[in-house]
Amino acid sequence: MLEAIQLTKRYSSLPAVQDLSFRLQPGQVLGCLGPNGSGKSTTVKMLTGLLEPSRGVVRFNGRAIQEDLASYRMHLGYVPEEAHLYPYLTGWEYLEMVGTLRAMNRDRMYLTIDSLLQLFSLHPARHATIGTYSKGMRQRILLIAAIMHDPDIFIFDEPLSGLDVTSALIFKNLVQALGRSGKFVFYCSHVLEVVEKVCTDVLILRKGVVIAHDSVTNIGKILGQSLENTFLHLVDDVDTMDVARDIVEVMKAA
Amino acid sequence: MIREIVRQEWEYRRDRPFGRLVQLFVARIFRGGGDTDTEGIDLGVGLVLTLLALPGGFVSIFLFDKYGSLLQWLRGQTNVDTLLIAFPDEYFFIVLPMTVTGAIAVWRWDAIFPDRRDYMNLAHLPVATRTIFFANLLAVLFLVGLVALDVNAASCVLFPMVVSASQGSLMFFLKFGAVHAIGVLLSSIFSFLAVFAILGLLMATLPPRLLRRVSAYARGMVVVYLVTLLCTSFIIPDLLRRVKGPVPSWTLLFPSCWFVSLCQLLRERANPAMAELAKLCVPGVAVLAVFAFGAYAIGYRRHFVRIAEIAEGTSVTHAPFPWRWSALEQFVLRTPFQKGCFRFVGKTLLRSEAHRLVLTGVGGLALVLASQSLMRAFEGMKSARQAAMTSDALSIPFTVSFLLIMGLRIVFEIPADLRSNWTFQLMLDSDHQECEPLARRVILLLTLPWILIITFAAYLYLEGPVVAVLHTAVVGTWSCLLTNIIVVRFRKLPFTCSLPVFKQHSIVILISLCFGFLIYAGSTAEFESTALSHPIRMLSLLPVALMAWYIPRYLGKNTIDLERKLIFEEGATRSVELLRLSE
Repeated sequence: MLEAIQLTKRYSSLPAVQDLSFRLQPGQVLGCLGPNGSGKSTTVKMLTGLLEPSRGVVRFNGRAIQEDLASYRMHLGYVPEEAHLYPYLTGWEYLEMVGTLRAMNRDRMYLTIDSLLQLFSLHPARHATIGTYSKGMRQRILLIAAIMHDPDIFIFDEPLSGLDVTSALIFKNLVQALGRSGKFVFYCSHVLEVVEKVCTDVLILRKGVVIAHDSVTNIGKILGQSLENTFLHLVDDVDTMDVARDIVEVMKAA
Repeated sequence: MIREIVRQEWEYRRDRPFGRLVQLFVARIFRGGGDTDTEGIDLGVGLVLTLLALPGGFVSIFLFDKYGSLLQWLRGQTNVDTLLIAFPDEYFFIVLPMTVTGAIAVWRWDAIFPDRRDYMNLAHLPVATRTIFFANLLAVLFLVGLVALDVNAASCVLFPMVVSASQGSLMFFLKFGAVHAIGVLLSSIFSFLAVFAILGLLMATLPPRLLRRVSAYARGMVVVYLVTLLCTSFIIPDLLRRVKGPVPSWTLLFPSCWFVSLCQLLRERANPAMAELAKLCVPGVAVLAVFAFGAYAIGYRRHFVRIAEIAEGTSVTHAPFPWRWSALEQFVLRTPFQKGCFRFVGKTLLRSEAHRLVLTGVGGLALVLASQSLMRAFEGMKSARQAAMTSDALSIPFTVSFLLIMGLRIVFEIPADLRSNWTFQLMLDSDHQECEPLARRVILLLTLPWILIITFAAYLYLEGPVVAVLHTAVVGTWSCLLTNIIVVRFRKLPFTCSLPVFKQHSIVILISLCFGFLIYAGSTAEFESTALSHPIRMLSLLPVALMAWYIPRYLGKNTIDLERKLIFEEGATRSVELLRLSE
């Protein structure tokens, strides 16, 4: 079980995340929603061990991850929000480096990389430098890097950005399949439809605080609305229709 | 009134599309460019300009010692011909801005021409491609002028002041300063235009795919040439002074000779050869300018206007050669950390432009110093055998290994795309890092094998097996010991940590390095030149080697746990560490 207990992170005394707690069971796909600045990325960084919480703890199978980060990370597959990769390495070289650092068996690693590159339609470009890849190609490299060692925990931070329709559909199905196979999946996104479709549970953040945490179906039931309307109801105070109308007015006046 | 009109005109022009484009290109040249999103070393415009102005200023100040009348008198130098003794310094002041300006052009190579990023951002806007062309051209001209002025500003004021210190005449100062300014500014502009012309020529003649590969080598060769040019300041002034008769052909290879000759001609101190060389300056700059801008126009037409057509298929592919790594992994690299990171470090050194350029510069310097040592070794010697046993010849592998080892160590500190280091932050265990052995292996594997092979082969041929084995052994041992010393307490993965902050002891380290070089290359070679003929004497190097081996080992053992942790951010050491006992 992956457990976040009263996670709090302060940047120069300003809280980015406050008292965030949840439990992630095997097979559960937990979606994390929230507007910009709500603390999603900070939460993800604490879950991956990239940031140490100011207070609280992340436990995996009952053990605080900070006690043995290296072994926790062996179980972790992470796709960051932005595809920052070394532009002078080729896709193949990057994956090979990641596999080597994860101490994967060499033969198995080459086989896995080769197969995944083919499945993600990157095989023809595998020896081209990442600097020449499109955003979608870089995103696919990140996805392969996150799944190639068959981890138990998956943390996806906006994994669909830049992906074409086919790759996005493949990925959505993959997330559901991972959940069914008993993996832990934490899925951060702005795309409500995707969260609604692929996640079993949802966690909504606002200004670093959890304002809703339940199964996707329950959250809708409580307020009798779709996830999109529920999200807007909980998070945003603005009338989006009004704002859209105002934008058109400003455009006409220009 | 006029000021107000000028201000209004400037504001009007600045806000026009052309003015905006010029501003965009100027900012782009300073802050980055290139199709790939490689993160350069962004130092900020102000800091870059200050750094560029520093060398000229510092060197001028150091020359007070040479030109001060009191100091000359104390040294017993009377009736000194100031213009005569200023000649080598004038040459140096011409070579220095040529090197610095050329280096800037090489550094901003990718940013000088509009690239795909510009195309994607500008081509769909209602701006004519010729407007983009002229805006970029104007930005480049602005850059040439700014760099030329900045690099030479300090020397144009301080050097004439220093030289005229013993003259006491304002006219002398003004005349000397004016001639100096003409020489250094023209030479700076020439240097920038030369690099610009090479880039334009490559763009005008090569297909995009080939251009990427060739431009990397071209930049490397330009850097080596610039380092060579800088090193000629020790030799060329003397050679130029001694020229009698027609202009020697080698002067055509070093345009610095033309500009120093122009200065001499304007000061009425030129010999006939210099007078001839001085005539090349203005036509040379003019022809180069026409050529550079012509090549730029053709290159622009071939590349920028057709970027949409050539967008696909320009990527460089690097097919893997697994045999190279597997052999290394079997014998040298043991752990996943070393295996994964060694590949990363090796590929960064081979492919990252910034790192390659710095290493090429260091390699060029090593080459130049080695050639000078070789030339000195042969002076007055009858045979190669005799020359090989001089301290100058023996110092060559030491000089090369010292510079390359130190160069690699310095290059490790230059970050490569810091935003991407999350990969390592996520995967490496900060408590069990192996950065020190990794850095040691990288340095030794990249430098030692070929230095040892060449040294052994050369001395085996010239002096026989005993001398070859002994000399190679000393070079190898000294390289290992030096590497051990410089990687002690190294706890970063090369290229993944932010640039080190300037510390107060940095100057001490720099001075220690200079002394270290003298001992490492100079004293050892001196000792060897006498000891190699009686090999038993070589044993006296053993205590030195043992001490050099023990000190880093001792320091490594006495490192606290906190200082063993892997770091990704270099910050000033905190004087007080918070223990956070309450949390």
